[in-house]
Amino acid sequence: MASDEELIDAVARGDEPAVRELLRRYERPLSHFIYRYTAGRDVEDLYQETWVRVVRAARRFEPGKRFSTWLFQIAVNLCRDWYRRAPPEASQAADDLPGPAGLERTEAAIDAARLLAQLPPPQREVLMLRYFHDLTADETAAVLECPTGTVKSRLHEALARLAASVKEER
Amino acid sequence: MTIAVPEGRAAVLAAHAEECVQCRAAPLPTDRIAMLLSATEVGVEPAVLSARALARLRRELRVNRPVAYGAVAGGLLRALLPLPAVAAVDAYMLWLAYSYGATLLPRPLVAYWVWSYAAVLVLLFALTYAALPLFLVRQQSGCARPERGR
Repeated sequence: MASDEELIDAVARGDEPAVRELLRRYERPLSHFIYRYTAGRDVEDLYQETWVRVVRAARRFEPGKRFSTWLFQIAVNLCRDWYRRAPPEASQAADDLPGPAGLERTEAAIDAARLLAQLPPPQREVLMLRYFHDLTADETAAVLECPTGTVKSRLHEALARLAASVKEER
Repeated sequence: MTIAVPEGRAAVLAAHAEECVQCRAAPLPTDRIAMLLSATEVGVEPAVLSARALARLRRELRVNRPVAYGAVAGGLLRALLPLPAVAAVDAYMLWLAYSYGATLLPRPLVAYWVWSYAAVLVLLFALTYAALPLFLVRQQSGCARPERGR
């Protein structure tokens, strides 16, 4: 099975099956990351734009780098730009969240989405990459282009803020 | 309703609680935080997003494909094939125009008109054939890439 790096090399030469395979491998983590970052707004636009940038920049991909790190760097940058252009309306976005598992679950999901949306973007990015995407502190630091210590302190700040919110809600 | 927290995710919080100095001094309610985070739902269908993205990516992929210069050269040669015949017909028409014009008007004036027209024709042919390779390359890569950035 071809590695991600071999596939992106093929994408640089215009190979469609290679891009199909990369889409298949990363569609779930990438779409979920964008969805959680934007609280469900403009997910499709950001998802497509991320892949368009991947294909356009495929020739400039550095061989020593991990593809997943590069992909999430592009996604994070696009989400940050999106956040600067259109500040999320947390409550409205949370209300729009679908709830297939019943009312109680939906209310919990709305609470969770609202609390996540209230986190400052740097803390939210760290929490999402570390917690939801199982990236290590070093991998998260590589994606966010910041020191590992910063990742750890931001994770703590995010958790502390969530803990305070949980206490307030009770 | 109890929401199960995936092991990997609980481990992230547990590892953080262990190594974080502040958390060791004042432990955070990681169980409750994990329960809260596990309640988040994602309302997107990744496969549908990918299918739509792929439709847009096809154009970008065509741009990435290397240009087949052999095909471009072949196309240019085929376009050049009728050129001698076209040039001969044009030359004959110009000679006819000069011959007829010379019976009505002074020869230097007719020669000026005919040569000017011939020069314009040569320029048009040169521009057309110079544009052919560019056209063929663009045709191979689909079409021009849209403006970058948003």
